[in-house]
Amino acid sequence: MAETKEESRIGVFICHCGTNIAGSLSIEEVKNYAMTLDGVIVADEYQYMCSTPGQSKIIDAIKEHNLNGIVVAACSPRLHEPTFRTATEEGGLNKFRFEMANIRDQNSWVHMHDWEGATEKAKDQVLIAVAKARMLEDLQPKSVPVEHSALVLGGGVGGMQAALDLASAGIKTYLVEKAPPTVGGRMSQLDKTFPTLDCSQCILTPKMVDVGRHPPNIELKTYTEVEKVEGYIGNFTITLRKKGRGVLDPTEALERGIVGGGCNGCGDCAEVCPVIKPNPPFEMGMAPRKAIYIYHPQVMPPLQYTIDFDSCVKCGLCVEACGPEKRAIDLDSVDTFEEIRVGTCILAIGYDYIPIEQKMEWGYKQFDNVITGLEFERLICASGPTGGHLIRPSDGQTPMKVGFVLCAGSRDNTGGVNKPYCSRFCCMYSLKHAHQIMEKIPGAVPYIFYMDIRSFGKMYEEFYYRIQNEGAKFIRGRVANILEDPITKNLIVNAEDTLLGRPVSMEMDMVVLAAAVQPKPEAEKIRQMFGVSKSQDGWLLEAHPKLNPCGTTTAGIYLAGVCQGPKDIPDTVAQAEGAASAASIPIHTGEVQLEPYFAQCMDEICAGCGMCLQQCPYGALDLVEKNGRTVMEVTEAKCKGCGTCGGFCPGGAIKMQHFTSPQICAQIDAFLLKGEDN
Amino acid sequence: MARVKEYGNAELEEKLRDTNYYTTDSNPQFLEDVKKLSRTAANMCYQCGTCTGSCPSAPPRSSYRIRLFMRKGVLGLEQEALNDPDLWLCTTCYSCTDRCPRDLAPTDVIMAMRNLAFKVDIVPRNFLKTVQLIYNTGHGVPNNDVNRAARVKLGLPADPPTTHSYPEFIPGIQKIMDFYKMKENADRILAEESK
Repeated sequence: MAETKEESRIGVFICHCGTNIAGSLSIEEVKNYAMTLDGVIVADEYQYMCSTPGQSKIIDAIKEHNLNGIVVAACSPRLHEPTFRTATEEGGLNKFRFEMANIRDQNSWVHMHDWEGATEKAKDQVLIAVAKARMLEDLQPKSVPVEHSALVLGGGVGGMQAALDLASAGIKTYLVEKAPPTVGGRMSQLDKTFPTLDCSQCILTPKMVDVGRHPPNIELKTYTEVEKVEGYIGNFTITLRKKGRGVLDPTEALERGIVGGGCNGCGDCAEVCPVIKPNPPFEMGMAPRKAIYIYHPQVMPPLQYTIDFDSCVKCGLCVEACGPEKRAIDLDSVDTFEEIRVGTCILAIGYDYIPIEQKMEWGYKQFDNVITGLEFERLICASGPTGGHLIRPSDGQTPMKVGFVLCAGSRDNTGGVNKPYCSRFCCMYSLKHAHQIMEKIPGAVPYIFYMDIRSFGKMYEEFYYRIQNEGAKFIRGRVANILEDPITKNLIVNAEDTLLGRPVSMEMDMVVLAAAVQPKPEAEKIRQMFGVSKSQDGWLLEAHPKLNPCGTTTAGIYLAGVCQGPKDIPDTVAQAEGAASAASIPIHTGEVQLEPYFAQCMDEICAGCGMCLQQCPYGALDLVEKNGRTVMEVTEAKCKGCGTCGGFCPGGAIKMQHFTSPQICAQIDAFLLKGEDN
Repeated sequence: MARVKEYGNAELEEKLRDTNYYTTDSNPQFLEDVKKLSRTAANMCYQCGTCTGSCPSAPPRSSYRIRLFMRKGVLGLEQEALNDPDLWLCTTCYSCTDRCPRDLAPTDVIMAMRNLAFKVDIVPRNFLKTVQLIYNTGHGVPNNDVNRAARVKLGLPADPPTTHSYPEFIPGIQKIMDFYKMKENADRILAEESK
């Protein structure tokens, strides 16, 4: 086995964690056992090692016993490794001379009712940690400078808020929106917002205008996708694909030498355009749209038309209509690419509805009068396809009895399109819809079929009270199926009133499905580009569900809004502000410290075969000439210390710092031989 | 309306009765009447069940569940609520009203429903007998010999200082009851029943 360079002087500290650990195993036995181990000079225990007196024990012991390795047997390194490293450093040691044994999460919590077994396992864990502590080396973290700019991906209310906050903090921010040629997101499709009943557009447009008016700090890039992501925290290089929109804005026109040209939003082009298609993204397919279109009246950047090249027939009528002065239309426009460098990134990529038509029992897309919540929003919205008059799609009549199906696909463990989670805002928007019906149509009665009304937010329960008082009928029961009267096109809703304890069969004029939400299909690609994990239901995974809900496990990448999990507008905005704050910290600090876990090539052993280059998922390895030999070199800032190359190298020439082969072998030996022979 | 299935067999008819609740079963006016009479916002009940939990008349003593009456009120199930004999099991102790988290008065809802039931002659015999007794004696439960003996033994006057001691006040009570035609209706219903 590898030689230890100096005499090991190790201190072992065992934490009770209140009764979390001490209640399930014998601290005293573990402590006495630790004292018998080779190299252990001192062993101590304390109720809470993470407390100031606990940390003082470590600091004092280092000084008193001249220790050169520290082992703390306590909780998870994820929780307190930084705490104890700091204590180790304060005691005068290099902070990487510290090793943690997780005897709580991996022991006392799982073996709560096996005192002897848990104690034996804790001894093993301490033995293994001490074995590694004997081999630890001083390491120096690497500092890298941070680019003074940030990327925000997604132009919904979350993305806009994050971009505005970053820009206000003096950071150059690129706000990138993929699909529609405007910022605004889902919120711009909504009519009113709960529980205050603010007009959604009215409270959103000031933000959209702010985003447009915030140069030079916000660079708005709509109709643009992320093509490639390279780099690491502080130094991301991002390739953007700006999709050809077919229309030049005045700046772009000037660049082409057309003075005073470019789109001024006059709309002459749309008037002559012969292609009429449904408007699926914004009006949910319920209104027509020309092939050259403006997304909606409040678009930002303002008044700029876009050509939908999927439906454009390139007849050229619009070019003629636009005229020789403006020359704003370019039918041959192509995608252009651009590279930007940013220090941190915020993902705010939003959500989609599940394909609720696959729930055949509710008849969406089979029966005319079954619609989704978002379609309802457009139908009740004054700027929507009906001018705010709620009508039945089948006959244009005003519905007097409207059923709302809550948990339509949410809280459903059957797989397929169904989602096990609560979509979290459907209860509240359905209550709002109920209010809007009663407000706009005198005598109309909304029937809300629910399992639970989850009105959890500030003033939400009061809103529920208000809607019930206004006369909405609540039926506690999940809708089993919906049938259609083929003549009247009325809908028969079958459910059970579980409060009454009997089945109900109610005839409705219209049914609104509060469909579950799911991650966008492109979320998977984006997630992989940025190296972000996902949770089991597909939402992007936060670093910690409670204590770090904005961060991710990839340094420098932060999350905001529904892409991390369903949430309403207030929560989205709050998370966006949190993400912006978190993303600005490394930028304002100016440099970040990287854990020195990177791979190191031992040049004298390296054969220069280059096979490791293909293995590296981060592109951190290169072949270079050194002293007349071809050897591998690691770009330390890019290396994440995953160990793929180290495990793969046929010559054993790659050393993973802090996880060296001798260190790991010592741990395995310690466990297998139980210290008998080493 | 519940669909009628013709089995030609009364027992089977009852067994296979359609128990669905249909939109047409609802009388929205019923809820309005209940609200008006009870002076409480019966529509605001959110069915937590605190009322039934507090109720001394509730199971296991009887099948009476005040929560279900609140629910039937909200849904406008007039016939079911009024025809349910459990309606008359409330002792009006007001425990439910004390504890209702939405600050409603379920007791008063029950009283309102009883009033509505009485209007359509749905009322148990014992309540009608009570009406007659109050009309004649001023007491729902008049004094009797056993009581009188007990009172004397305790050193009280044989009759309490009510209409028993002051029968000259009985006509006043009768005047109020006559105004609401209570005695008249009680007599009529009891007479019709005994025919």
